[in-house]
Amino acid sequence: MPKMITEQNLRLLVDTLVKEGARVVGPKQAGTMTLYEPLTKGDDLVLDQLPRRSAKEAFFPVCETILSFEKKEGKTTVLDVDVCAVPETVLFGARPCDAAAPGILDAVFSWDYKDEFFLERRRRTTIIGLACTKADDACFCTAVGLSPADMKGSDLFLTPLEGGGFSCEAPTEKGERLMARYPQLFNETDNAKPLPPAEPAVEKLDLEKIKTWLDGNFESPIWNGIADRCAGCGACAFLCPACHCFDINDEGTADKGERRKHWDACGFGKFTNHASGHNPRDIQNKRYRNRIMHKFKYYDDKFGQTLCTGCGRCIRHCPVGIDIYEILDKIGSGH
Amino acid sequence: MNRAEKLETAIPIDTSCYAAVTDAIRNEAARILSDGTVTAVVGYKAGRRAGTTMPAIVTDPEKAGDLIFSPACVNNLALYLTKAKKDVVKKGRIAIVAKGCDMRALAGLMGESQLKREEVFIIGVVCAGVKGSGAGNGEPLTTGNLARKCRECTVHTPEGADLTAGTMPSLPELTPVEAREMARLEAMTPAERWEFWKEQFSRCVRCMACRQVCPFCYCEQCLCDKNRPQAVESTPRPAGNMAWHIVRAMHLAGRCAGCAECERVCPMDIPLNLLNRKMAQEMKELYGFETGLQPVEKGPLAEYKDNDDQSFIK
Repeated sequence: MPKMITEQNLRLLVDTLVKEGARVVGPKQAGTMTLYEPLTKGDDLVLDQLPRRSAKEAFFPVCETILSFEKKEGKTTVLDVDVCAVPETVLFGARPCDAAAPGILDAVFSWDYKDEFFLERRRRTTIIGLACTKADDACFCTAVGLSPADMKGSDLFLTPLEGGGFSCEAPTEKGERLMARYPQLFNETDNAKPLPPAEPAVEKLDLEKIKTWLDGNFESPIWNGIADRCAGCGACAFLCPACHCFDINDEGTADKGERRKHWDACGFGKFTNHASGHNPRDIQNKRYRNRIMHKFKYYDDKFGQTLCTGCGRCIRHCPVGIDIYEILDKIGSGH
Repeated sequence: MNRAEKLETAIPIDTSCYAAVTDAIRNEAARILSDGTVTAVVGYKAGRRAGTTMPAIVTDPEKAGDLIFSPACVNNLALYLTKAKKDVVKKGRIAIVAKGCDMRALAGLMGESQLKREEVFIIGVVCAGVKGSGAGNGEPLTTGNLARKCRECTVHTPEGADLTAGTMPSLPELTPVEAREMARLEAMTPAERWEFWKEQFSRCVRCMACRQVCPFCYCEQCLCDKNRPQAVESTPRPAGNMAWHIVRAMHLAGRCAGCAECERVCPMDIPLNLLNRKMAQEMKELYGFETGLQPVEKGPLAEYKDNDDQSFIK
């Protein structure tokens, strides 16, 4: 028998988990926007907005210390960060475009080098996905093979019901365990109908065709016109659920400091600047080309997946109106 | 609030002249591209999503019809005339579509020898205002969703352009939201202000959008990108974020043209133009200097005089 949870019980679940010492993250009002932030009470959970930044930061924070060092009396001590200290985490209210992304990133973070910072958080996090019942004009998850009701990446998946509450499905054991642990919060469904899923107003993109074009057109003149207006900031990459490039910087003084891992973006002019001074991506078109190539060709070549979940954040917030859907549509339709 | 605020009752703003402005831009662009006056026109074209626009670089007179002007033409296109964007239009005289507020940036760039007047063909456009960042794409322009900077605009009709398109409609009365916010901050104690900015900067992810869209952030090597030695922590943490935003504001003091692009593009809604305005206010009080529409060769902070007040050196 499928289960359901009332909104009140969902908030109670947050309170219960917080009380038990778990780290609970979910959409929360932060000034003028919502962000996926640590929650201290269920009442703070915002369920009707797509957070400004994606949920990737629950696994891959904006900035984190990966070691610290100290020099005392000529002797330098290096301290590793204990990745096992990552608390058990429940991520609430991840939209399908956000819930699907961490699973896509597992491939790159566990490839030749195992990034324990990311992977340990993945192991210890349960994702509660939430179906979308509204989409705006930038949403395009359906164009890249997901949908507003897609359970991909979710351990527990909530679908809003007519008359309130959510139906719950547990596509993974993690999700089942969470439901089993708090049986009093979940009820049998009373056959309430789910609210219809959102319908992003976009045509499905032919990702295979796009990939085939990208395979043969690294040097196409098309690139010159595509992103010549790109301002070279990192807004798209930093809001993206799937962009995962980072830089590592040692900061502090000669005597004491930290090695920090923090978000980086291929749109930045210095991203590929070599120590020699040579920069293979010397102009913005080449940098933007990399953004498209990485998402729709390189990641597919290497891991068989597309590095885009269609959340639309890059479209909504590009300072100069660059629209990745429009570009892909152009490529896919043979211009 | 860093968004278009829903004030009292939103009154529609008359933007009927934008259609005539669009026609004038198209005609002029086609003419000057065809007769070789310019090699490119930097303007706006419609985006895929209804009601949106994006900067466009048009080199073919046949494509002049793509150009538009609407309340969604938010960008300050002067960015594309700086050396930071030198790859965009490689050679020849360039035309630019400029609102009154954008003219200040052009004057500033000329004053800093980044641009010669004769190298630019300015298509000035009359502007009743553009939308603030919270406005829906489908909404018409109203007193409720107007960009904050437009609420205090004094340059609806650009001066000194090669051509000025459109006739300014009369505007409803507008309350100055940003000036009010400035006053609120001024009334705070230094400790309260520090808290305000600490909170604002805590959200900064260092995407550098504020820097990348600024017509005056054209340095080839930004101090904040240096790592040998590192001048400003480049990681998105409190120390580096605070340092970056202070460096940005200080470096723009007496140069910032007030286009507020930094604030518009900030994905974290940090009200950066409040800092710019504070700097402008200080420049006015200390040096009687205001960035304006006339190119000024040397702003007060770029000039040294023997009789400068040096009493601050202790």
